Amino acid sequence: MGSLQKKWAFKYHMKTQKSIPTTKVERSAKFVKTGIQIGGNYIKHYSKKLFNPEMDREQLNEDNATDIYKSLSELKGSALKIAQMLSMDKNILPKSYVDKFTQSQYNAPPLSGPLIVRTFTKNFGKTPENIFDSFNLSSSNAASIGQVHQAMLNGKKLAIKIQYPGVGDSISSDLKLVKPFAFRLLGMSERELNIYIKEVEERLLEETDYELEVKRSIEFSEACKNLDHVVFPKYYPELSGKRIITMDWIDGLHLKEFLQTNPSQDLRNKIGQALWDFYNFQQHELRAVHADPHPGNFMITPDENLGVIDFGCIKEMPDDFYYPFFSLISTDVIHDKNKTIDAFRKLDMIHADDSPEQIEFYYKSYKEMISLFAKPYTSKSFDFSKPDFFEQLYIYGEKISKMPEFKQARGVKHFIYVNRTNFGLYTILHELKATVKTDTFKPNVTA
Amino acid sequence: MATAQQIRKAYLDYVLTNNEKPKSVYVFVKKLKITEADFYQFFSSFESIEKTIWFELTFETITKIKEQEVWLQYTAREKMLSFFYSYLENLKNERSFVIYSLKNQRGKFSTPDVLTGVKPIFENFAQEIIEEGLDSGELAERRFLSKRYKDALWIQFAFIVNFWINDDSEGFEKSDEAIEKGINVTFDLFQHSPIDNLLEYGKFLSRNGKFAEKMGF
Repeated sequence: MGSLQKKWAFKYHMKTQKSIPTTKVERSAKFVKTGIQIGGNYIKHYSKKLFNPEMDREQLNEDNATDIYKSLSELKGSALKIAQMLSMDKNILPKSYVDKFTQSQYNAPPLSGPLIVRTFTKNFGKTPENIFDSFNLSSSNAASIGQVHQAMLNGKKLAIKIQYPGVGDSISSDLKLVKPFAFRLLGMSERELNIYIKEVEERLLEETDYELEVKRSIEFSEACKNLDHVVFPKYYPELSGKRIITMDWIDGLHLKEFLQTNPSQDLRNKIGQALWDFYNFQQHELRAVHADPHPGNFMITPDENLGVIDFGCIKEMPDDFYYPFFSLISTDVIHDKNKTIDAFRKLDMIHADDSPEQIEFYYKSYKEMISLFAKPYTSKSFDFSKPDFFEQLYIYGEKISKMPEFKQARGVKHFIYVNRTNFGLYTILHELKATVKTDTFKPNVTA
Repeated sequence: MATAQQIRKAYLDYVLTNNEKPKSVYVFVKKLKITEADFYQFFSSFESIEKTIWFELTFETITKIKEQEVWLQYTAREKMLSFFYSYLENLKNERSFVIYSLKNQRGKFSTPDVLTGVKPIFENFAQEIIEEGLDSGELAERRFLSKRYKDALWIQFAFIVNFWINDDSEGFEKSDEAIEKGINVTFDLFQHSPIDNLLEYGKFLSRNGKFAEKMGF
């Protein structure tokens, strides 16, 4: 790609920054474009290197990081934007990584038929033809880091998720690639940013471990089985492996398709309630939560239940995070300034060496954030369809993103995924325009 | 009376244990307690044993993949992918031999001696697939160039085998990636592409040069 053309492309991006790609196709197209640009960067790098062997990779890395970031910042869809901004400026980048890696995989070309056969023979010593009664070699959709195929066995329809080879490797190398760029961009030191990057990397790598995912899926679907209107597919460990997960096929509609059918308010509330219960039961009873409230991970079944189809990303909440954080939300702590500051200290939101003015400043800013976050919990039921609440979140996020004080690393690493989960949940409920009873599973902080 | 199989097995055992060829056929047959005549009945030299092993590994793979139920549904591209996946699967059983026999070859740029038997059958197979692809329109017929498609695939062959030899990833996963990406790129180039249209356009313009001149170009 010529540099002129690139410059033009860059200008074009700047101009159209305001239109956020919304549909999956558009988003994936976006990433395909990034992919091409990055490919172009490599070609540029190697052709320059032909003439100037001393050229280092620095330039290449920077080119790539710029392109990745450019496309990321355009991708702040409504759902992500709020979560991103509330998770503080410093988290924007790790957060973007997360989204990049869940979305960008769409740009991976589908696996070829022979590679699927190969993956099966490696895992089971048999071809899919020999294992299932029928197996559809063309995939029915893309999962985050793999693709999904349909098969039949003993009259049952199954979903088979197959992982792209080399995903784990590319996650680590991509994170390394963008890291130095991130330090400069956010003006943070490597040491400060590293805790967050590591947290993201850990979760992302866990997602590539399909054996772990099957184990957790079974555990979580067992633990959550008594929740009303939440259903899970059955998993088949004997037909799963390092790169393959076999589960029941769940028929139903994705959120977007569901909303297009103009569901009644009752039905919206029912699905919204199922979502709320599913998340809050996990947070407060299991202390570990499905941390990927991406609309694609849910199906609304024909008999009006919420189907949960992906347990790749689980965030466990340790006590030293859970107690201080949720006591701020569900008790009177927030009305007592000293106790609140004490909790903020435990959560690393106020540092030991902060000056009295700084303490006062962060106390006020974070208190505002927590009260916003806790709003749905303060009444017995909450109407997520109202735009005011989201506007407040938005304004708050906009405000703090402009404050230089928030350029520093603050807050324990657990915030990244806990924020992403809860604001993700709020956003889905907003899209559903659901009113839910918020007192079904309350924070449990009376230790 | 020794069989070809026994000689082959003994030879493999010898080179993999000692990491070098036996000093001579004489020494080798003595150890095996057979006569030189027995040896020469099947093989003309140690090299020919190695060539035979390579030939068989390749031949077996081609036969096996053609027996798959899905074979006839595969496109040319998928057939080539299928070959390489199965080939590495097959080579895995003889990995030590593969590494030994290729590491001992001098001259990186020409076809290694041990592969001289493999090259014609691979090229035959590749040509067969390419012709199918050309017939079905999957691949682009280009004057002069489409005759060289098989050479590009032979280069991929050498690259993939070499990559696999040096691959230390779990389950040789990286080799799978090398196949998937490499073969796809190669076949992308074999397909109709904007370059073809550009060439066509160039030809058109040069044929109609007078007209272009009039237009003030």
